[in-house]
Amino acid sequence: MASGNTLGTFGARDGVPPGSNYATQDTRNNIPVLDFDATTEETILFGDALPDHYGGGGITVDVWWMATSATTGAVVWGGSIERENAGGTDLDSDSFATEQLASAVNTDATSGKGNKSTITFTAGANMDSLVAGEPYRLKIARKPADAGDTMSGDAEIYRVKVRET
Amino acid sequence: MAALTDADRAELHADFMRRMDMQTFGSCPLTKSELRAAVDAMDAWIVANAASLNTAIPQPARGALNGAQKAMLFSAVVERRYVKGA
Repeated sequence: MASGNTLGTFGARDGVPPGSNYATQDTRNNIPVLDFDATTEETILFGDALPDHYGGGGITVDVWWMATSATTGAVVWGGSIERENAGGTDLDSDSFATEQLASAVNTDATSGKGNKSTITFTAGANMDSLVAGEPYRLKIARKPADAGDTMSGDAEIYRVKVRET
Repeated sequence: MAALTDADRAELHADFMRRMDMQTFGSCPLTKSELRAAVDAMDAWIVANAASLNTAIPQPARGALNGAQKAMLFSAVVERRYVKGA
């Protein structure tokens, strides 16, 4: 598998809310989005299986988002992975690896224009030792308490892509 | 009159951002910290000018309305003046 090739994509409607403090389902011009608050940390979960042709190079998650109303400021996203291999993790409780943060990305000066943030996971512990062919969950969170997260109002995720680093 | 507590100001700040997102006031050209500075300054201004505002209310309203009722009336006047039709 070549670096940069797509391993999976998620839309807003693929998101599964956790028990509390979850991103809110919404639409914008008929585009499904997930709204993440500016002061309370909220998360969403995506589930998939890593393709068999994944080559072990680590993964990079691209997050496309818009500001609900802001035209300035930046957003910081965090991502964490939970391996769900057979005979492995007890799925009765969460077991996500250490969260990895994207760099702060400034929102576009037009609130309806998309922005792209990137979260990088090196192979191994950062990916909860996930390997090709295994199921996993990806947790995405906005990090409103991070000093780099300065944007007022909600940030709306509309697409997530997983690719090999 | 005491200023709002930091927790109250933070809650107001968060609630206001949610209102901005849900209502059609237009886009928000401020960062979180810039908006919070505006919250703090407005609260400080109200503290500094509360007595003057109270004096401006004619009788019998000044004596008959309680603090919460005067606050609601003040809010309604400001909203009608600056928000209606905005």
